[in-house]
Amino acid sequence: MTPHNKKVLRQIIIGIFLTLALVFFLFPVVWMFLTSFKTQGQIFASPPVLVPPSSQWNLDNYIAALFDSGALNGIRDSLIVSLSTAAISVGVGSLAAYSLARFRTGGEQFAFWILSTRMFPPVASAIPLFLIFRELGLLDTYWALIIANSIFNLPFAIWLIKGFIEDLPVELEESALIDGASVFGAFWRITLPLIGPGLVTSFLFTFVFAWNEFMFALLMTRRSVRPLTVIIQSLAGGHEILWAQIAAAGMLAIIPGTLLVIFLQRYIVRGLTMGALKN
Amino acid sequence: MSTQRLFNLPERLGGIFGSDRRHRLAAFLFVLPALVMLLAITIYPLIRTLQLAFVSLELSISPNEQYVGLDNFVRAFTDDPRFWNSMKNTAVLVFVGVGIQLVFGFVLALMANEMGRRRTVWVTLFMIPIMIAPVVAGFQFRVIFNDTFGPLNYLIEWASGGRITPPAWVADPGTSLLTIMITDIWQWTPFMLLIILAGLESISQEIEEAAQVDGASYWQLLWRIRVPLLLPVLIIGVLIRMMDTFKTFDLVFLLTGGGPGSSSETVAFYTYLNGFRFFSMGYTAVLALIQLVIIVIISQVFLKLQQRRGAI
Repeated sequence: MTPHNKKVLRQIIIGIFLTLALVFFLFPVVWMFLTSFKTQGQIFASPPVLVPPSSQWNLDNYIAALFDSGALNGIRDSLIVSLSTAAISVGVGSLAAYSLARFRTGGEQFAFWILSTRMFPPVASAIPLFLIFRELGLLDTYWALIIANSIFNLPFAIWLIKGFIEDLPVELEESALIDGASVFGAFWRITLPLIGPGLVTSFLFTFVFAWNEFMFALLMTRRSVRPLTVIIQSLAGGHEILWAQIAAAGMLAIIPGTLLVIFLQRYIVRGLTMGALKN
Repeated sequence: MSTQRLFNLPERLGGIFGSDRRHRLAAFLFVLPALVMLLAITIYPLIRTLQLAFVSLELSISPNEQYVGLDNFVRAFTDDPRFWNSMKNTAVLVFVGVGIQLVFGFVLALMANEMGRRRTVWVTLFMIPIMIAPVVAGFQFRVIFNDTFGPLNYLIEWASGGRITPPAWVADPGTSLLTIMITDIWQWTPFMLLIILAGLESISQEIEEAAQVDGASYWQLLWRIRVPLLLPVLIIGVLIRMMDTFKTFDLVFLLTGGGPGSSSETVAFYTYLNGFRFFSMGYTAVLALIQLVIIVIISQVFLKLQQRRGAI
């Protein structure tokens, strides 16, 4: 066998292994997708119904999930919480990131302290936060979730944006400052437009983190605010579990995260490691 | 990404930045909102938690606090096997689960690296589990592991011709923790794959080719060149995963509810039970403090490594 053929054969074998692994990693999503078109009877059938008959390829379960099971309200609440969280984290985070990147405010120790708060276990601060929110009358409002999510995503946003600012040359800002621009002016007119991709990346990541968040959503809300994750959980914990509707709600819930990994591939490693690794 | 640039600490800044007093004041005002917000989740909860740790506050009985000294600590360390069971379960997820993610991720990354440019399609599809809400992942696997209609047990029975009786998975105390671990492995092996692949791409082709010219075998190349160069990436990946796995809550809630019995309770889940089901605020505070100490230890290792790397 020629070296070239050997290489091709090797790639084919590895390709087969990778495809097999991919089956494992995609099967749960595919199964949920198929489940979202089944009837309750087909879900319990043995042998399992793999692909539902073509007459059922309609949106009945999706419509039922949205309108009867509250997924539509869940999506609205999740959107309000996630968009606000992302806006606050990126807004407050970019200011802090600029200060840390350019002025080394508080020194390196302070920057690392901020990073270390990302590791704070949410369950450890859940009770004190719960008690404050109760005293302030914020339980079961959007604010409770927006505040909790913004604070917990802030260290992530700061470190990610800080990395993007540090990638920029300092000369432009330097000359602006020498020409008498204020710090805010230099930040607003020079730095911000140049870190557009970084801001978008941070916004989308914090959006998806808040969208996927479950623990605070569970603890801080009751009736008036019910994000999608809480809706899915409560449907899955009921007496008669409507598997197909939950699967439909689950399919809707994974849309933002899936779009993120597909369209933000360039920044995904950087995002997932808070800028510790770049690709 | 080169290993030198891996940790993105900048060179020292000089010149105009920080030389002017008004600039320094502005820079301080820039971090102020973030500082206030972060103090709200660290210092305030810490003080409140420390205070609660020494009282008995049973919200289901009365809203009054009663000073009990070290009773809560004594209870956690000497008289609560359920807590230590949850610690053991968490340790299994953190060490065994993350260990498996590392090994699988490493092998898959080596394979994907061999595929040249064609790997992009695979890698994109591999990434999908990462950003799925744990609640949804938990639901997916609850369907898959279901012992009456789940596809997994049907497959096992079909493949073995009915000779193997598969376990009840989430409903069996012997396998309930395993289902959580498998779901976590499913969700996060792609993360390991991704960062290790990024690390492999950053190793210069020249080094690898030079080693091959010198007659290094595949395994020598792997152990003598790739693994040492990848070490920082591996360490960062493992620590990030350990810290997040230590907090595992959503998956437990959705998949097993901690059961059967307390067979699959993690420490985050047990803390939640004490705080929000049993309403024992004082005791919950002690559990929170213990977790905090453990997380601080892991995160200090992480930060030290990052700082050291940054200095290179």
